[in-house]
Amino acid sequence: MNDTPIINSPWQSKPQPKVVPAGTEAESGLTVEFTGKRAALFWLALKTGFFTILTLGFYRFWMKTRLRRWYWSAMRPGGHPLEYVGDPIEKLLGFFIAVVILTFYIGIVNLLLMFVSFSVFNSSVIGYVASFAGLIPLWFYARYRARRYVLGRTRWRGVRFGLEKGAWGYAMRALWYWFLTIISLGILWPRMTFLLEKYRTDRTFFGSAQMVQGGRWQNLLPATRPFVASLLFLGAVLLWTLRVDPVFPGGIADGAELAGALDGLVEGRIEGLEWVNPIRLILIPLGLSGLLFGAIWYVWVSKRIMANHKIGPGVQFASDLSGLRVTFIYVLGNFIAYMMLVIGVVALVLLAAFVFSDSLVFFADMPGAGAVSDLPRWVSVVLLAVLYLTFFLLWGVLYNTFVTYPLMRHMAVTTTLPIVVGLPLISQRDRDAFAEAEGFAEALDLGAAI
Amino acid sequence: MSVGFDGMGAAYFDGDSPEPREVSLHVAEGMLQIGMDNGTTLRWPVEEVRQLPDIAVKTGIVLRRASDPVARLFVTDKTLLPHLPQLTRRAPPKWCGRLAAWAVAAVAAVGLQIFVLIPLLADNLAGFIPPEGERALGEATYGQIREALDDTGLNPLEVCEAPDGVAALDALVDRLSGERDFRQQVNVSVLDHKMVNAFALPGGFVVIFRGLIDAADGPDEVAAVLAHEIGHVVSSDPTRHALRTAGSIGVLGLLFGDFAGGAAVLFLTERLISAQYSQAAETGADAFAHDVLAEANISPGALGDMFASMRAEHGDAEGVVAHFLTHPSLGERIKAARAEVDEGATYQPSMSPEEWAAVQTICD
Repeated sequence: MNDTPIINSPWQSKPQPKVVPAGTEAESGLTVEFTGKRAALFWLALKTGFFTILTLGFYRFWMKTRLRRWYWSAMRPGGHPLEYVGDPIEKLLGFFIAVVILTFYIGIVNLLLMFVSFSVFNSSVIGYVASFAGLIPLWFYARYRARRYVLGRTRWRGVRFGLEKGAWGYAMRALWYWFLTIISLGILWPRMTFLLEKYRTDRTFFGSAQMVQGGRWQNLLPATRPFVASLLFLGAVLLWTLRVDPVFPGGIADGAELAGALDGLVEGRIEGLEWVNPIRLILIPLGLSGLLFGAIWYVWVSKRIMANHKIGPGVQFASDLSGLRVTFIYVLGNFIAYMMLVIGVVALVLLAAFVFSDSLVFFADMPGAGAVSDLPRWVSVVLLAVLYLTFFLLWGVLYNTFVTYPLMRHMAVTTTLPIVVGLPLISQRDRDAFAEAEGFAEALDLGAAI
Repeated sequence: MSVGFDGMGAAYFDGDSPEPREVSLHVAEGMLQIGMDNGTTLRWPVEEVRQLPDIAVKTGIVLRRASDPVARLFVTDKTLLPHLPQLTRRAPPKWCGRLAAWAVAAVAAVGLQIFVLIPLLADNLAGFIPPEGERALGEATYGQIREALDDTGLNPLEVCEAPDGVAALDALVDRLSGERDFRQQVNVSVLDHKMVNAFALPGGFVVIFRGLIDAADGPDEVAAVLAHEIGHVVSSDPTRHALRTAGSIGVLGLLFGDFAGGAAVLFLTERLISAQYSQAAETGADAFAHDVLAEANISPGALGDMFASMRAEHGDAEGVVAHFLTHPSLGERIKAARAEVDEGATYQPSMSPEEWAAVQTICD
């Protein structure tokens, strides 16, 4: 806007809409900063995770709230932090509500399904499948509700975000799109991704401004390239090693024969099996890694493409997210988290063995230990429980530090709002009173993601 | 006295528009004075100013007034903070009554479900499962147990099938069955594992471990254990238990959510709950065994002897640990079994010395 310098004049009596303090760029839109330090997040995750274990899991509502507050406040579009105003008590309340509603459904339905499965089909598999299938619509429902809750508790510059009601509509559409995806052998997957995101985005508000997901589902097709290429590669490799020029011309009867043959290979002897360039089999794990890479790429690059087509009134988003970078974060982050976990657990076991070396003697089956053997068994149970919980605590903390944190940071700094002229026209929206918070999602085990 | 602060980068958000407003900041007369460009000044009493918790970096702090849910003040000058005494004071707890009510409702719902509805349904439905269904359920579980107990991890645990031993055990079941005629329901097998244990599965599978035969002082003790497990089969305890587990594990899964992976906690809790259920079933099976043994003219005290030698080996589990084991405290059961012995009766051994030798070598 060319008239900005005049408006900024200190002698202007009335504040004008376009006055923006330092750190923001009104004319060229807004950039998003990410300001949190990894070490600070690590300690917060460790502290809250520790409390969670001490309280047998009840502190997890506080843990989740505090971690979200931290992440939200680290993301600063135009230099001003997002704010998460969710309340742990309301999460706990929502969890209780969900438990009351779901126990009857899950307990009785599971038992009846098992009964029918045993009496009619003589097997438990059908019962498990049916009990799982019955939860799928509920799962989508809970996901939408959880998103509504989180958006309803997010603010920026004092203005609330929001998501309209519509969880059952979302669940029904999700089921239908999944059905189409499955009968089209995955070809319509991008259509599902796009339409579900559009359903959510079109119901998303920032204050009074409604967002719109523009574009078409075909826009996502380029994001599938690495996955499709890996699939074709894997298909070609399988065709080559099994049909065109088989590695085992004699054929392989079953898995046991293959295992035996591999055993023989490792021990340096070949027992009667004919190999033709067995080294080619390495291409198969290569193709599978390619599939994994392609899947991560698709998930995130499709997010980028859709972000570039999200608009509000006078507001536009742009994302410069790098699929390669995200894949790198996943691979490296998981690797580091696993390594540190292994080192940490080994250190812990050694420590435990050192501290408890006296009682460890009793673990051995001592004949005639009599009543004394009762106590060590008890000690060992507690010790094992502590080890187990520590394992999960460490895993959560490391995953937050080495995967969630870099992902959030990358997402934040690659997002911009090139057009923000509509911002001054936006006003506050009403609070979304939401009795059960994300209780359903929590109870159905969807809460692991931030 | 008035103290001024650096308003550079600071912004006030009125809670209606997302437009930042430049401010000047002063603390005077117990008020935080927020001066706007248009000449108006907001006055927040210093003790009402709160800081948003868990902010990622302290370079930009967000303040709010306790009485205003939406207005926010973004400040960069940290020297302001010492003038605000109640920054971290918490809001009074909300919805305490509602929270307590729903907590009670949740506990009651889960309790009702696990201790009343699911057992009731399981007990009633167990009788309606056709024998083929029970058999399929038992076979599946049997396979899983054989695989789980195998140390090498490759093949399921061996079933011991030396013909003389199998014949001796069959003869024993025949003798125990007597008038009651449960012969057709029961299918006894021995697994080659050193554990001193035996269990019953749905569909009439009674499984004895080699360790138990090795540990027994004579054939009567094995007969007593067999009679006890047959007691479970006859009252279809294993089937009820399987149905009950299917129901309660889902409910408990809800409670723990994603806490600590859930699975292990879930398993322990399930043990704790099912222990109570099984204790009633165990006592019933003990009583059944006493009767069957007495009818077959075998000393019911043998069950007590078996428990006594188990106790010598492993010690009794009492107190907290006992809750995690499905069997009631052994001392009680030994007493109960010995009380059943009729001093005047002349009991016969359950097997001939040849038969007992065959059973002892069933795994060779």
